[in-house]
Parts: sequence; structure tokens; C-alpha cells
Amino acid sequence: MTVAITGEEVVGALDKELKGAVKSVESEGILVQAEKILDIALCVKNNKNLKLDYLVSITGTDYIDYLEVSYLFYSLDNNKRFTLKVRLENKSNPAMPSLTGIWIGAELQEREIYDLLGITFSGHPNMKRIFLWEGFHGHPLRKDFSNGN
Amino acid sequence: MLSEFSLIALFILIVMGFATTLVLIPQALKKIGIVPSKPSEVKYEPYECGLETIGETWVQFKIRYYFYALLLITLDITVIFLYPWAVELKNLGSSSLGVIFSFIGILAVGYIYAWRKGALEWK
Amino acid sequence: MEIRTDSTSLDIDRHEGNLIKELRSSSTKPVTEPSGWLSEDLKRNIFLTTVDNVLNWGRKSSLWTETAFTACCTFEFISLSSSRFDIARFGMEVLRSSPRHADLIITAGTLTWKMAPQIKRVYEQMAEPKWVIAMGACGITGGIFADSYSVVPGYNRILPIDVYIPGCPPRPEALLAGIELLRKKVEKRSFLQG
Repeated sequence: MTVAITGEEVVGALDKELKGAVKSVESEGILVQAEKILDIALCVKNNKNLKLDYLVSITGTDYIDYLEVSYLFYSLDNNKRFTLKVRLENKSNPAMPSLTGIWIGAELQEREIYDLLGITFSGHPNMKRIFLWEGFHGHPLRKDFSNGN
Repeated sequence: MLSEFSLIALFILIVMGFATTLVLIPQALKKIGIVPSKPSEVKYEPYECGLETIGETWVQFKIRYYFYALLLITLDITVIFLYPWAVELKNLGSSSLGVIFSFIGILAVGYIYAWRKGALEWK
Repeated sequence: MEIRTDSTSLDIDRHEGNLIKELRSSSTKPVTEPSGWLSEDLKRNIFLTTVDNVLNWGRKSSLWTETAFTACCTFEFISLSSSRFDIARFGMEVLRSSPRHADLIITAGTLTWKMAPQIKRVYEQMAEPKWVIAMGACGITGGIFADSYSVVPGYNRILPIDVYIPGCPPRPEALLAGIELLRKKVEKRSFLQG
């Protein structure tokens, strides 16, 4: 069975690289600063002990006060999983770096998050709507979205 | 001798008549008004699974398709000659084996030539 | 906006968006049946000739379905078309991939606004006479997604529907009953109505 790596373990393994970037440590993941997500993802991927080299999914959530983006990583060698979280307080124009440069598979899910939550991923090769049509007003997974019906 | 083929001529006539009638029936029914005719612009456009066509519908195919078609035809002809030979193998005897092998040999030379010239490669 | 071979993908997306917006704003009310040829008046004075009988027998015995299924009700249709329920009994086993050959659209499943222009176009490209069956709750009213931002609240917003089959999804037997109803409707048509 795939076991979650605790946040403390990762912070312990990547103490030097993560310095200053970690906001809080949770039981199954860590919350980091949005601007440093690229460096942290690279560290997590290339670290010889962790080997969290498989990005399973990216999820966006609206918590009313802030938006949260969660990255779920797997280590296929160690059979472990781990979650990285990023909070975006600026709800009017949320933006963060894209992970498509490291995992090309992130492209579709980042576009989906842009489509449904309105988070712009800088560095994404094709940042436009994917499931809804061009010209759709608003982002339907936001809690303040109103259908107008 | 020729009269033996009269039935075939009759058959051809019937086939042609049948085909023409099938084409003409809907046209005639349309004239009478039995078949509803509601032409519209969209109806006469090419069908692309419900999407609008981008660009021209009449596109040119690559000349490469015809190379393949030509090579396939020679293969077909080989089969056409091989089949009656295989059926009559007992009567023709072993000497026919040499004949058919030389026939395949000639074709094989052509094939190898085409192959070496790169006709089987998609460019 | 015209789309050409050198249009960028964003151009094509914008063109699609405009189409959807146009369709969405123009279809806020259900489409009424075009002729209303089964009104009470006509029912009482219905007058069928032998020509009508022959034509309608031919039409109802070979209702060919267009393969334009959008979502999960399709599985009930697949079940219907295979051996257990066997719509080959009605001459319907031929599923056409081209609307030029088809007489019937079975609207199996939820329709999103993004898919709506395509379905409408396929319907418009079908040869006359043509029929539509609205299958399942989503086909009738949009079902549980009726309030959604992306779902068409019922196929009757964009297509004239002949028979409604409720259910989520309708069982194949219900679909058979609907097809029976449609066959009865086809029988009553007179060519004089055009």
C-alpha cells in the first residue's frame, strides 16, 4: 500500500533547500510559498532519498478566504505519496508559476484549474479555457460564482 | 457461340435498368411532392461530425498513394495468376512449378527495384 | 468571423464561443413542433391514402438512427440494440454515422452548450423526413444538471422533439415503448402535409 510521507520527513530531508519557503507542516504534506513552488518541486523530484518523481494530480479549491492548489506526488520506487500545497490570498487576480516545464502532464490540469477557478499559471504554453467555451463569464468553481438563472 | 452470351447481355441490361430506376425514383417522387424537400444552406454543406469545415473540402491527395496503389495492383495480378494455377495443379504437373516461379521471380525483381528506389517509404 | 486553414487555435476557440453564445441567447424557450400536424383538428379529419400507407410503412419499418449520443443513456440504447432487446425487429439495427442516411436522432444523455451547435448542425444536415426522441431526464429538462452553467436544459431548446421518454436512465423497455409511440406517430403522417 502506498504510504504518505509526513511533512516532517520531507522538511527534514530537504532542510537546506526549503529554508524559508515552508509556511506550515501538516501530517501528509507541507504548505509552501507560491513563488518558490518551482524550486521546491524540482528538489522533491530530484532528491535521492525521496524520489517523488511522479505528479499524480493538481487540484484547485476555493476556501472563500483564499484559493488553494494541491499537488499530489508519488514515488514509484519507494511506494510513497506526498502533498504540496500553495495558498493564493489574492483572489481578484491569482497567479503562480506553472509546473509544465518539469512535468508536461501538468498542462491539462493547470488549464482546467484556470478554466474553473481562474488561477493563472505563468509559463504555461497554452493558458486558455479548456472545458468551457471562449467568452464564458466567470469561473464556475468559485464559491461566489452565480449562474444568472 | 455468340448467342451463348445473350443471357449475359440481358443481365447487363437489367442491371443498368435497375440502377437507373433506383436513381430516378427519388427524383420522380420529389417532383410529385411525395418526398419532402426542404433544402437549406447547412444541409448541403459537407458533413464533418457537426463542425464547420476549416479550409477547402476538396483537398489534393499525395502522389505517394498512387505508388502504393500501383504496387498493390501488381500484387493482385500475381494472385489472379496464382489462383487458377493452384486449382489446376494436378493436371499441369511439376513443370508448371518452374513456370510460376519464374513468373514470381520477374515480379519480385520489379518489387525489389521499387523497394530499393524507396517507393515503399512514406516521405 | 471566418475560420481558415491558417487560423490560430485561439481564433477557432473564439469562433466556437461566438457560435455557442449566439445559440444560447437564441434558444431560451423550447422549440415548438414545426407543423403541429397532430392537432385535434387534424386527428378528427385524418385521411390516409394508400400511398400514405405504403410510404409510412416503409418509413416506420426502417427508422435508421444517427449515432449522435452525448452521454450515459447511450448504454441503455446499446443494450437495446444488442441481442437481448433486439431493435432489429423494427428494422432499426442500422446505426448511421452520417446524418444523410439517418431518419432519427435519439438524444441519449446530457447535452452541454459546448456540444449543442454540433448536435443542431447534425440535425439540420439530416434528410427529410426526420424525427427526434428525447431520452432520459437530461434529454427532457436537463435533469439534475438543469441549473448548471454548462448544460442545455432539455433538447427541446434546440431541436423539435417528437417523443419524450422519462427515466434516469430509461430502461430499454421504456425506450422500446417510446419507439413504438414514434412508429404510431409516423403511421399518422400524410404526405399532403409535406
